[in-house]
Amino acid sequence: MAGRVVMPFLILKRVLVACSTVIAVIVLSGMLIHVVPGDPVTAMMAQSVSATPEAMAEMRARLGLDLPVWQQVMLYLTKVLQGDLGTTIRGNESVLMLLLQRLPNTFALAVSGLALALAIGIPLGFMAAVNRGRIADTAVMFIAVLGVSIPAFWLGLIMIQLFALKLNWLPVAGSSWRNILLPALTLGLTYCALVARMTRSALVDVLEEDYIRTARAKGLREHEVLFVHALRPALISIVTVVGLVFAYLLGGQVIIENVFSWNGIGRLAVQAMLERDYPMIQGFIVVFATSVVIVSMLIDILYSFLDPRMRQK
Amino acid sequence: MSTTTEISIWTRRPPFSVVLGLALAIFIIATSLLSHYLAPFDPTRMAAGPRLAAPSAAHLFGTDEFGRDLLSRLLVGGRLSLGIGTTAVVSGLVIGGLMGLIAAFAGRFVEAVLLRLIDVLYSFPDTLIALALVAFLGPGIENATLAIAISLVPFYARVTYGLAAAERAKPYIEAARLAGIRSGRLVRVHVMPNIGQSLIVMGTLGFSSAILSAAGLSFLGLGVQPPSPEWGAILASGRNYINKAPWILIFPGVAICLTVLSFNLIGDSLRDLVDPRRKGRS
Amino acid sequence: MTKHHLRKVVSALLAAAAFGTGLSLSVAAATDLTVARAVDADSLDPDKTSTTQSLQMTNLIFDTMLTMDKDGSLHPGLASEWSMSEDGKTYSFTIGDGLKCHDGSTFDAAAAKARVDRAIDPATINPDRSLWGPITGTSVEGKVLKVSLSEPYSPFFSFLTGIQAGFICPSSFATADFRPIGTGPFKFVSWTRNDTLQLQANADYKNFNPLVENPGKPHVDKLTFKVIPEAVARMASLRSGEADLVEPSLEETAELKSDGAFKVYAAELSGQQVLAAFSWKVKPFDNPEIRKAIGMAMNRDAYANIAFEGLVHTSNCPVAPNLFSTDEELCATWGAKYDPDGAKAILEKAGYTADEPLKIKLVAHKLSGWDQMHQIMQQDLAAINVQAEIETREVASHFDHMTSENKRTDGMPYVWTMGMSGVDPDYLNFLWKRPGFVNMGLNEQVDTMLDEQRRLSGDARAAKIHDIEKYLMENAYTVPLLSPGWNWLMASSAKVEGFKLGFMVSLLFNDVTLKQ
Repeated sequence: MAGRVVMPFLILKRVLVACSTVIAVIVLSGMLIHVVPGDPVTAMMAQSVSATPEAMAEMRARLGLDLPVWQQVMLYLTKVLQGDLGTTIRGNESVLMLLLQRLPNTFALAVSGLALALAIGIPLGFMAAVNRGRIADTAVMFIAVLGVSIPAFWLGLIMIQLFALKLNWLPVAGSSWRNILLPALTLGLTYCALVARMTRSALVDVLEEDYIRTARAKGLREHEVLFVHALRPALISIVTVVGLVFAYLLGGQVIIENVFSWNGIGRLAVQAMLERDYPMIQGFIVVFATSVVIVSMLIDILYSFLDPRMRQK
Repeated sequence: MSTTTEISIWTRRPPFSVVLGLALAIFIIATSLLSHYLAPFDPTRMAAGPRLAAPSAAHLFGTDEFGRDLLSRLLVGGRLSLGIGTTAVVSGLVIGGLMGLIAAFAGRFVEAVLLRLIDVLYSFPDTLIALALVAFLGPGIENATLAIAISLVPFYARVTYGLAAAERAKPYIEAARLAGIRSGRLVRVHVMPNIGQSLIVMGTLGFSSAILSAAGLSFLGLGVQPPSPEWGAILASGRNYINKAPWILIFPGVAICLTVLSFNLIGDSLRDLVDPRRKGRS
Repeated sequence: MTKHHLRKVVSALLAAAAFGTGLSLSVAAATDLTVARAVDADSLDPDKTSTTQSLQMTNLIFDTMLTMDKDGSLHPGLASEWSMSEDGKTYSFTIGDGLKCHDGSTFDAAAAKARVDRAIDPATINPDRSLWGPITGTSVEGKVLKVSLSEPYSPFFSFLTGIQAGFICPSSFATADFRPIGTGPFKFVSWTRNDTLQLQANADYKNFNPLVENPGKPHVDKLTFKVIPEAVARMASLRSGEADLVEPSLEETAELKSDGAFKVYAAELSGQQVLAAFSWKVKPFDNPEIRKAIGMAMNRDAYANIAFEGLVHTSNCPVAPNLFSTDEELCATWGAKYDPDGAKAILEKAGYTADEPLKIKLVAHKLSGWDQMHQIMQQDLAAINVQAEIETREVASHFDHMTSENKRTDGMPYVWTMGMSGVDPDYLNFLWKRPGFVNMGLNEQVDTMLDEQRRLSGDARAAKIHDIEKYLMENAYTVPLLSPGWNWLMASSAKVEGFKLGFMVSLLFNDVTLKQ
């Protein structure tokens, strides 16, 4: 039972799970075109003058819509696995290129938002756990619940009004580094609640562990108990949920990118949704899912390195 | 796991947050249900008052760009938002619940496949699933509700599976199996009564998420269409008056916030009792 | 047909003199201008797009063969001289000397020929193909480009002044990837779709446009277009100084007008007309009386004053005001007058009551002002026992949808709305001649009249256009609503000087300077 053997096996397993998830997502998104009511080609064909019967037939062939459903899905899967996400209906541009161009912007915003969410959420959660059952706990948890209850787009609009207009501190829209502050702050404020709640329950769990009681019984100072013995293991279990928070943040970001005109894949996706550019929407789903899966896979692996118990399992 | 301590809080007295949540929820549901009696004006009637009038005695929440009474719109809109939420939660719970039960009781192969599928979908934020589905189905209240319902399926399936799997491990199920009782009957007679209560609790958790998704879809123009006074739609159409008539933006936002807050407050305290994953999800 | 021969030559001397005086004094050092718009161009290739938002951009990079003054008179563009043969089937354009494309190549008659050939090539799939007219061939004789037509097409000259007819340099389409290379006032620098378009002043620029004063290089060095779809964010960017010039939200325009720190510009030459139309192939809208009743129910004053915040006017003709032959008073006599009671009586006679209303769809695209207009329209219709369900889409998908809807002969009837702009009433042809724009073409009789007006000119043509408009309105195939209706407003901070809006809401930055 050597940990040396188990570790690579564990990573391999994680990678395989991630791969199968991505394949499942590709298949699902390939099937989505069939929930379009009526004929998708009629629904998405460009302006009338170019919508000749030949052009429509060509589009149908391009999307493989003349094949049986399972063949279409297989065709889509094969293409996507070869890195071909198709081309947009409007503009005839490579879906993958468009998405990859904007992916860094999306990640920059997501990471900034996550950083702010952690920076605000962890201390809040910590405060709540330490004061469990007292007013500070109730207050923090109430703020946390309030945070997830505010529609992010609404908060965004109010932030624009407040910070950009009334106070004139921060710029509103665009994709330069200064522009990232307002949308990141909006995301951070929305998702810090999730982090605070998780931090609190992780820390509460740890504080009930026997070794903490032992530490306290041994007469260690309270702050030593908290910061040295309790916080570290609590943070390790927070790592596991960071992936989940990240996925949620990315999801919420789709709307935020539109409010702040942030040029990420979320804005591209909503644009495509409003224009019914189906290959673009499918591509977005695939790229989004792949990002989420890779991030959570990396976090899982990271976690198994961090947590001694996992290493011995 | 600290579930025991959480429960002990419960048995002593309901926490303040739950009381507050319940009070808010009851208030919102009651005003929405009675909206047709409470609303001082017809919510779609234009020029019920002057355009963009600030809150006053005649129009408590002011009027919108067409002179429609905002309070009346919010009240009737509440019924719409709660209706979407309820329909989506019930359908999502039924479909998700069935998926979870099938995964737990229909044999190893089905279990493996279904679980994988559920986990794949579960890794997506529900707002995004709803968004993607509406993009393909087209906008409108029915499609939005359907999309939100489906977006909740993975969550409910995961929860039901967790509860059912825990139940499956109990000795009485083993005994019933040995006695030759079929899976279908087993689920109906034994499993459902035992996990039903927990499932209903989980239903409230999906509700707040459904309301937020509906508002988000309307805000992007993919959800409920005008002139229906759905809260997100009011917010979306009034947002350009943020300087001139901020009340059009503020009141619907507050309404969404309070509704979601009330269900989150209730659900949060109940969550730890039943969520097998005990991971935050709002 | 009278001989139509126009000659106009720009005096280089005059231009140079103008440059030497006053104007150059106001030119500051390097100036950058940031403009925020709601919607991005969908292409920079004028042969691949017909949206105002795209053509506003292409018009900065490309020049037109001819230009037009406010009064509708023709002026030189890339062509210094132009003429039409007596039979109206051959056009000649003398291409000016010393015209340089942005990549340094020469723009001559051969380049112009290549551009026209591309526009009419079926392989290009040009959405504006029909506007180029019945061209059969092109040839070059020295500096002269000759264009042959199968039959007379009198709107050809006006079309060649419009933003749909930008002359792209052949190097633009020499390779498979289109590169926007023109002769216009600004050079293309970079474009991140739905985010930023950057242009740079063309140092060699020579202006032809009579709406512009600056004879040469634009005073602004760098022009940056940002796309900010969210109006709240866009307005905030103007107020906070991030953007110098924006498309304002209708809701805040009145406030900006009364605020000394800002300026509001409204296009007078938009050529835009907003229309309602019908599923006239679907019962009961096959009955002109019912269609007329719908028109009578529409409170166009409310659309203009409430939905569009009083920033537009009602307009009576199927063609925009200020265009050739448009006579608002005459059209008013043909159209339905606002009379909800009369309309309700017609519907009731046809068997539609408050309990059993006529159920229809109101199919529209999303756009500021329009959304509000449709809500009022819905209420107007409810008052005459017509229950309308609003169905909205984005602009481009709306027209996709209408393409298939307009083929329908049964099912739920619908009323739909659209906007059209141009520099000549010939857009009637683009819209109504079968199959017509999004299959809205009508019948043989209309087709014939539309063809006839293309062959006529002057008063005879005006009379024919009036006949067509009368037919469209008396049979209630369309209800003219408003003008203008989209993209016609801009707002800037007070330090921006000299910004102008031209025909079809083209953006003219040539004279823009920034006060320090």
